[in-house]
Amino acid sequence: MSCYIELNNVSFSYPRSYPRGKVAINNVTLHLRQNEFTALTGPNGGGKTTLAKLAAGILKPSSGKVLICGKDSAKMTLGEIGKKIGYLFQNPQQQLFALTVAEDIAFSLELNGHDKGEIARKVKNMLELFQLTHLQDSSPFNLSHGEKGRLALAGIFINHLDYFILDEPTTGLDVERKNILSDIVKRFSGHGIGMLVISHDEGFVAQHAKRTIEMVEGEIVYDSSKDLRP
Amino acid sequence: MTAAKTLDPRTKLIMVLCLSSLAVFIQDIYVLGGVLLASFVISVILKGDLFPAFKQVKRLLLLIVIIAVIQSLFAPAGKTIITIGTFPLLTTGGLIRGAEFILRMAVIVVSATIVATSSSRETVQGLVQWKIPYEIAFMVSVGIRFLPMLTEEIRNVMLAIQLRGVELDKIPFRKKLKIYSYILTPIVVGTVIRAQKLATAMETRAFRAYPRRTSYMTLKMALPDYAIISFSILVSASVVVVYYM
Ligand SMILES: Nc1ncnc2c1ncn2[C@@H]1O[C@H](COP(=O)(O)OP(=O)(O)OP(=O)(O)O)[C@@H](O)[C@H]1O
Ligand SMILES: [Mg+2]
Repeated sequence: MSCYIELNNVSFSYPRSYPRGKVAINNVTLHLRQNEFTALTGPNGGGKTTLAKLAAGILKPSSGKVLICGKDSAKMTLGEIGKKIGYLFQNPQQQLFALTVAEDIAFSLELNGHDKGEIARKVKNMLELFQLTHLQDSSPFNLSHGEKGRLALAGIFINHLDYFILDEPTTGLDVERKNILSDIVKRFSGHGIGMLVISHDEGFVAQHAKRTIEMVEGEIVYDSSKDLRP
Repeated sequence: MTAAKTLDPRTKLIMVLCLSSLAVFIQDIYVLGGVLLASFVISVILKGDLFPAFKQVKRLLLLIVIIAVIQSLFAPAGKTIITIGTFPLLTTGGLIRGAEFILRMAVIVVSATIVATSSSRETVQGLVQWKIPYEIAFMVSVGIRFLPMLTEEIRNVMLAIQLRGVELDKIPFRKKLKIYSYILTPIVVGTVIRAQKLATAMETRAFRAYPRRTSYMTLKMALPDYAIISFSILVSASVVVVYYM
């Protein structure tokens, strides 16, 4: 499939926006293709997180349509979406639930009834990949910010999905950890897995992005795939 | 109209106290309706934020049915509407009880919007000037402040769990319990952590450094306040008296 997520004339305003009725996303049309690592940049409050949540079906558009794999996001349950798209929240704290690090990584596989041995093996892989093995029995809530970020990433990458949306995955990561993330991301996009990554990290974006989109005040002001300048 | 700005928070507290005592003491559905109407009108005049209150009450509507059935089963009264065999499943008496319950809840929810038209700082100050210890007044205001955040947090956690690819309605029953623990863990831990942070922040700002606090803000009641307070107490008292006579 060449076009994974499609936003058609999508507008969105938060129910409790200030001033009332202010649009956070203004009539955006955007096609995210799976074979194209896309970076989303722009100033604070530009609407990046909002756009990402719309693309992931977490928020439903006020007007316009979002199609995920050709299916209207408004008609999909979150669980259904979670089986297609992995989403990293800007604040990793928001997606940690379990009492230990290892349990948190295993959680979705366990609830979906995967085989115990398979879970143990995959969790071990993830712990090693994100250098969390020494922390596997500690509480997710006592980790440092960077460690929480890595744990949240491990928790979503353990599911083999076709598309990942990462909201500022590099914040709080040290140089070494950022390089590890870079390697993982590179490997994933090499396998044809789609990525939409929000980042202020120019180095990271320049290193990976095939396509760059910039958002200011709820509108796309730049899209490299449409850039016709020489 | 600047009624919301000028009315003393203590006046609002007394009004709300009157309204909710009435809601608790009165059993008559028509009087309860009147109490709800009164709270509603006051909230509108004070520009209370009624929209979220509506949604909360709407969520309780299912309870009408449950309470009505339970009341009908165990304390049948009035005409029987539905029966199973010889057992009355639904009686008019039960239905009225259910409706009364919702009216009571609605009064309390609407009352909350009346209090909320004053900032929590003002309400705390009002309580303090009533000689309620500042620590307790402050705790009350913190509690009120954090409660809506809690419901939002539960919603966020549910959302995040599903986004990890868990379809809640397809989980076998045995594992559903596990989900509750996954919902509660971050909420409880988060609440404790937030309380600790709040405590630290308060320490760094020298909360309770001195036994007595002076306050830049002082509230003074004006004539309308006294008028409204007397009126509220008088009316509620007479309603109760008439009702129980
Ligand atoms: N829950 C909310 N309720 C009301 N308004 C919101 C909410 N979340 C965001 N907004 C507003 O929507 C606009 C876009 O916010 P968004 O979070 O999408 O920005 P962003 O580009 O992700 O910024 P940042 O770089 O700081 O993460 C902002 O003006 C913000 O104030
Ligand atoms: Mg953001």
